Amino acid sequence: MSWIKGILFGVVGYLAGYWLSISLGVERGTEAPFAIGYVFFFAGWLLGAGVWDHWARSWFGLENKTPPTKESHGWKRYFMFSTDHKVIGVQYLVTFALIFFLAGAFAMAFRYELMRPGRDWLSPKEFNTVMSTHGILMIAVAVSAIIGAFGNFVMPIQIGAEDMAFPRINALSYWTTPPVVFLILGANLLQGADYGFDFGWTAYPPLSTVAGLGKLFFLLAFMTLGLSSILGALNILITVIRLRAPGMTWGRLPIFTWGVFTTSFLSLIFTQFVFTGLFMVVLDRVAGTAFFAPDQGGGALLYENIFWIYSHPAVYVMIIPGFAIMLEILPTFARKPLYGYKWAIGGFFGIVAMSATVWAHHMFTSGMPDWMTVPFMAATEFISIPTGIIFLSALGTIWMGKLRLKTPMLFALAVVFNFLIGGLTGIFNADVATDLQLHDTYWVVGHFHYTIVGGEIFALFAGIYYWFPKITGRMFNEKLGKLHFWWMFLGFQAVFLPMFWLGYNGMNRRIADYIPELAGTNMWVSASAFLLGASFLVFIYNVVNSWVRGPQAANNPWGARTLEWQIESPPIEHNFHQIPTVTGHPYDYGVEGSVHAVLAPQAEAAD
Amino acid sequence: MERKNKDLIYASIIWFVLTFVGEMLLPSWRFIASPPYSIEGELIDEAFNLLLVLGFPVFTFVLVALFYSIFRYRVKEDDLSEDGPALHGSTSVWLTWLIVTGLLAVIVLIHPGFTGVSELRSNPTADMVVQIEGQQWNWTFTYPEYDITIDKADTLVLPVDTRIRFEVSSVDVIHSFWVPAFRMKIDAVPGLTTTMYLTVTETGTFEENPNLRVQCAELCGTGHARMRASVEVVTAEEFAAWVEAMQANAP
Repeated sequence: MSWIKGILFGVVGYLAGYWLSISLGVERGTEAPFAIGYVFFFAGWLLGAGVWDHWARSWFGLENKTPPTKESHGWKRYFMFSTDHKVIGVQYLVTFALIFFLAGAFAMAFRYELMRPGRDWLSPKEFNTVMSTHGILMIAVAVSAIIGAFGNFVMPIQIGAEDMAFPRINALSYWTTPPVVFLILGANLLQGADYGFDFGWTAYPPLSTVAGLGKLFFLLAFMTLGLSSILGALNILITVIRLRAPGMTWGRLPIFTWGVFTTSFLSLIFTQFVFTGLFMVVLDRVAGTAFFAPDQGGGALLYENIFWIYSHPAVYVMIIPGFAIMLEILPTFARKPLYGYKWAIGGFFGIVAMSATVWAHHMFTSGMPDWMTVPFMAATEFISIPTGIIFLSALGTIWMGKLRLKTPMLFALAVVFNFLIGGLTGIFNADVATDLQLHDTYWVVGHFHYTIVGGEIFALFAGIYYWFPKITGRMFNEKLGKLHFWWMFLGFQAVFLPMFWLGYNGMNRRIADYIPELAGTNMWVSASAFLLGASFLVFIYNVVNSWVRGPQAANNPWGARTLEWQIESPPIEHNFHQIPTVTGHPYDYGVEGSVHAVLAPQAEAAD
Repeated sequence: MERKNKDLIYASIIWFVLTFVGEMLLPSWRFIASPPYSIEGELIDEAFNLLLVLGFPVFTFVLVALFYSIFRYRVKEDDLSEDGPALHGSTSVWLTWLIVTGLLAVIVLIHPGFTGVSELRSNPTADMVVQIEGQQWNWTFTYPEYDITIDKADTLVLPVDTRIRFEVSSVDVIHSFWVPAFRMKIDAVPGLTTTMYLTVTETGTFEENPNLRVQCAELCGTGHARMRASVEVVTAEEFAAWVEAMQANAP
């Protein structure tokens, strides 16, 4: 299967790359042969995972093997190089759910260390690496999970397409992600001076140019993740532009598809910056350049600029799909049209357009010229305007609706609540004066967990519950879903609300130890964190159990109008018996006589 | 139509009451915050307070709209018999919303935004200079006017009521010079000298208030969490005596 073959090819590739670089005169014992070896590992991994069998053979005049289908390989196709967008969507969803739980386990590990002041079980270096691992894995989840899972599974169906525009590139972007995890975990397993990476996911040089193989692993992993984002974004843009069904005009596009589409602009344009920045750090490490080495004429602040030009838009890569899922779910469970559909799309584009102008608000204390803080503060305050549009759209949708508080709806409503706190606390970071105190403290930790976990990850779970019957063809247990919601929601508030207080009162980020005066609150936060972590056991039990033996789901259990609910659960290969014709708006609840799409009658088409 | 108006009125009343009560209670946040020890810290606390006061009505607006809808419009979970009214929002509603949120953004941008930058970062005069140098994982404090340098220092001694210019630099990686009680931080960047101006207003020691400490605030490697030094703020006379003692002890 793809995994085994990929690893075999990868190891062979690595050895070949290592040997090649040594024989070309690269010095043994430096990091350069490893870096070159990894490039060959990566190529070997992709070839073994399926690029050779399904793609590259034809370059040499051989016949490509046919990609696995349900008929030919059954469940095994989920472990293979499938080009079916629904299989890839499930691959993304399960892979990133596992990464999410893994990253959560790392958080449990360092919250155990932070339960009491002083050292408990992690050395400071281990703490830094565990904390950084949690960070980068969660960043990977936040960047890729919704786009990869639902952008793949749901979006093509929503626009009435049979698959993505480039199915093989789609598979490629999924198979690019496992090496990220190999490298990150590999860095955690290294021993001695090579162990780990202790510079956080931001990897500021000169700290990130200090020797140590684990640090190199991190940089290569992050670059690989970037590659996956770029490929995925390109595919989504072309798919939405080219493959919409007849009648699916831009004004009838479901809001989730709009969210995925606008996000892909950001990924495609800005991921290249972080790739370049990290590449320059790698060159500083292995090739003797000095882009960021101040003692040789380089500039340490230069990296911060390049990094944040990507990494601030990246937070919108995370949150716009979250908003989009929220706005997709609210009309269905409020039985009302999406309030201000066109304004909400405008809000997405507003965020996209402005996201490139705010990056230096991460650098107010970096020593950049004072006058330069002003335009970035202004841009940051103004980006609250398109975000406010999303909020009014959400509130207008539920106002006077017929609210059915099922599990997906509860998660979608929680997004409004959590992001409200996350957004408002962000204003204190946008203001230069208050940011001088708050920057790099637990206030910021609280703020970005409220926006990204409270906003995006709650939306991810909303999406999982919402589309679960469509993806698996089975219903989850509603009572357990609600139990998971309340447990996770209350646990989340208990963990992250006290962090605002901690930050203002002198607890800075990313510290293995703190002053004894903050012990009580940290004990509370740690205890709540374990509670929050335990809530996912309910989720895992419910999902696994329901997937295996849940009751059959109806084709449209929520009474929704978008196209994915008008076909079988789970959908057939290529989704539709016949390409549908779109005739109306997707959210016309309460509008007499409005029909979103006409599908060929299922029985008739099947004949 | 009538029900819609009633709901709007009820929700508005709840919003108003909640906001009013909240605004009365908000300033008490200072009771749970450790006190500021500098003029700049006072300014930052005022900015913080103002943002709380301005942000709170927005917070309650969304909260009331959210929870009022949840409690008032809830139906049975499987009841698909009836749809809600097809509201899309008139242009005037949306323009009002844009203008209100836009105005709020402009207000906080001007004050405390612009005013904050100009008050905190635009006056380059000082009575005294202290040079701060970070290295993995300790601080060096230099008082150039008095020819005093303390390597791997464990205490930063500062005179009260004196405007001080901190000249901050680093010999290895990026650090950040932060004294939580002063409410200010500035990064120590290798290859650059960054500055920060402060006037400390009250005497005190780390033992009295643990936020009177220099704390590295930018992840700088293994020893980052413990890259600290106590801060001791003393009167002008005590400071003069300390300087004399330090100079006498110098080799």
